[in-house]
Amino acid sequence: MHDDLALFAEEPPMAIDIAVPALEMRGIGKRFPGVLALEAVDLTLAPGKVHALMGENGAGKSTLIKILAGVYQSDAGTMRIHGRDVAIKSPRDSLRQGIKVVFQEIALIDEFSVAENIFLEGHPTDRFGTIDWRKIRTDCADLFERIGFAIDPAARTGSLPVSQQQMVEIARALAHQASIVVMDEPTSSLTPKEVKLLFTIIRRLTALGIAVLYVSHKLDEVFEIADTVTVLRDGRHISTRPIGEHTDDSLIQDMIGRRIVDLFPRQRGPAASRVALSVEGLSTRKLHDVSFEARAGEVVGFFGLMGAGRTELAKAIVGYDPIRAGTIMVDGQWMTPHNTAVGVGLGIGLLSEDRKVEGLMGELPVYQNASLASLGRFAAHGFVDAGKERQAVQTYVERFRIKTPSLFQKVKNLSGGNQQKVLLSRWLMLGLKVIVVDEPTRGIDVGAKSEIFGLIDELAGAGLAVVMMTSEMPELLGLSDRVVVLCEGRVTASMSREEATQEKILNAAIGSQGRASHEFRV
Amino acid sequence: MTEILRTGASGRTSLASLTGSGQGVLGILLVVLCLGISAAAPQFYSEANIIAILRQCALVLIVASGMTMLVIAAEVDLSVGASLAFVGCISMAVLNATGSLTLGVLAALAFASGVGLVNAIVVTLFRVNSLIGTIGTMMLLQGGVYLFTREAVQNHHQLASFTALGAGYAGPVPIPLILAVAIFAVCAVTLRFTTIGRYLYAVGANERAVRLSGIRSARLKLVAFVVTGLCVGVAGLILASLMNAGQPTAGRGFELTVIAAVILGGTSLSGGSGSLIGTLLGVLVLKVIDNGIIILGWNQDLQMVVPGVVIILATYFDLLRSRHHAR
Repeated sequence: MHDDLALFAEEPPMAIDIAVPALEMRGIGKRFPGVLALEAVDLTLAPGKVHALMGENGAGKSTLIKILAGVYQSDAGTMRIHGRDVAIKSPRDSLRQGIKVVFQEIALIDEFSVAENIFLEGHPTDRFGTIDWRKIRTDCADLFERIGFAIDPAARTGSLPVSQQQMVEIARALAHQASIVVMDEPTSSLTPKEVKLLFTIIRRLTALGIAVLYVSHKLDEVFEIADTVTVLRDGRHISTRPIGEHTDDSLIQDMIGRRIVDLFPRQRGPAASRVALSVEGLSTRKLHDVSFEARAGEVVGFFGLMGAGRTELAKAIVGYDPIRAGTIMVDGQWMTPHNTAVGVGLGIGLLSEDRKVEGLMGELPVYQNASLASLGRFAAHGFVDAGKERQAVQTYVERFRIKTPSLFQKVKNLSGGNQQKVLLSRWLMLGLKVIVVDEPTRGIDVGAKSEIFGLIDELAGAGLAVVMMTSEMPELLGLSDRVVVLCEGRVTASMSREEATQEKILNAAIGSQGRASHEFRV
Repeated sequence: MTEILRTGASGRTSLASLTGSGQGVLGILLVVLCLGISAAAPQFYSEANIIAILRQCALVLIVASGMTMLVIAAEVDLSVGASLAFVGCISMAVLNATGSLTLGVLAALAFASGVGLVNAIVVTLFRVNSLIGTIGTMMLLQGGVYLFTREAVQNHHQLASFTALGAGYAGPVPIPLILAVAIFAVCAVTLRFTTIGRYLYAVGANERAVRLSGIRSARLKLVAFVVTGLCVGVAGLILASLMNAGQPTAGRGFELTVIAAVILGGTSLSGGSGSLIGTLLGVLVLKVIDNGIIILGWNQDLQMVVPGVVIILATYFDLLRSRHHAR
């Protein structure tokens, strides 16, 4: 990777007046049927600066950037780009104004080569008016050379890992001479090493005078990369301050409107000595000889980088995926592998990392989602006693403070945190002995996170063995009694809560490849 | 009819009310159709005509009852038409050979549920998409029936009880209608009140979630395929009785009528939602259109054209509905 920014200085892509804001949004409003998504929001981006946009889910971040991208049109307010009044009515307008939005869902064409994707919106043509493929290749190679991407321009885009596809998206911004780059949660699928690379690239963009709007809810990243932070809450502008004036607490307070005194309430007592789950020599396509135990009342946290095998392990031990070797014992009983019916019968269940795809039945009401695993309990001779069923669900709705207008609400209309609580109820109504939770707070607001942590603590306190897969260091250290680290499908470290430090964990997670390249903040 | 459809599609607000009660709109459509046809042809409301319509509905409703369960579980069976013809031939042949109604009925049910079982195995074990898999069995059956018999299997047994199956009456009510109502009721109760019914919705809504909850989703789908097969068995017997022969060419396009009725009734092809009341309304709408074309003396070829239009519109509405909900 080249680190010499001088390469850029030779040919600046555009003339930028540093004194004029790259973007000024004033009094932006947007109303959807029944919801005021944005109300009089101001946002000013300075050239060459990273501006973080923060807020909980539903705060209006996505709406705001979709207005910038031309996906939505605002109902009120004005926009100025480099001092000129503009109206953005379509994604095309947005691109023409030099705005490049890199969405979480990557908008590249899998079947095309990297170079083709880079020049998708404006193929250079040769003197016959046909597409100049050679120029595309060489231009792309030049571009990558300048910004230090080690990606083959001829590679099929779909064959690249998500992280590299994201890099390609960013490179597209440069190819199109964008002066404003918006990144929507860009690190959600990146490893720490890739995050580091992304930050290097962002710094290069700003050195070119490009204004970067960095949308994220990760505090550590924002503190590392941003110059200024704007916080939205409930569609309103709450604060815009230089990052230096913020602390973790002040940012969280702005985002959720109150202080979280303790993100990790710990009320449970010590774990019992009874082993609830015992895994011996488990191997699958991705895992190699994994062994561990989880006692009743204990949270065993598994940490690993992307691709370390966390989700594979979770799915194998609950019987969802086949295994190659090894034994799984639940509460002293041998579990038939690759058979969730047996697993659930023995009392082991999975709270999947992907709520939508593997947990929720979005079109079905809340109560049916909650009772799915335990429906047999409410039935006599095959007929469901719906009254009894709803009553049971109602107790969980109250106990977990699930915010829903009624038990009949479609579960997809609930917020992420409440959906997660519904899925937790599904297992608790059945009464598990071991619950495997995979990234339990992914896509959940800061406020709701704390509640989920509280619930996990409560579960362990009630005598369940909790096996938690996570890539979030604070979550791991805050909740676990023991920490197990996975790297490339193997257990590389196992330590008690007291022994565990970020450094030890990261070193084990990175394995032989070297030291941690990314600073985690707790 | 087109008026209603047009206003339904015109804007968000009317769309919202439409999705709020898709069956309400279907009910209104049915009433408007009946009023319109009877205004032009008063004999529409004669007792004989109403009985004729209901008898027409019976065959479709029987198979659509099973099909609704299957579509709710996010699968579909395109082989029902071909199976219907085969069932007629087999049952007639068995009746001719044995002279026993019981054996004939058992043969029909065994064959048709066997087809359902094969479909289930293809879909759950081989993981072939049911749309493709059942086109496969459809072709197998269409060809197979000619290997079995090149021409209609005539009625040589002359069993009165067999003839009654399709053409008989209990009081003023045709026997096929009684069978249809019974099957409809059993399926409706199953879907609405039993664990199996609830699991079928769950499998259609999210099969992975169902599997992770320790429920054997493949078995549920198997049940739905076999139930659909059994329904085809009953319908095939009635059809053979009505035609007084096992016709290898019978049932062409029948699967499309059935699926059109199910979709029209608001059951989504993507699974997880729908109801048998909707399917009932869908069947009635299609058959009233059929009947209207005949009664009004229109070109009978329109009997193919109009359902074709209805299938497209129904699928379009299904799309609008899901798009509306996705927002």
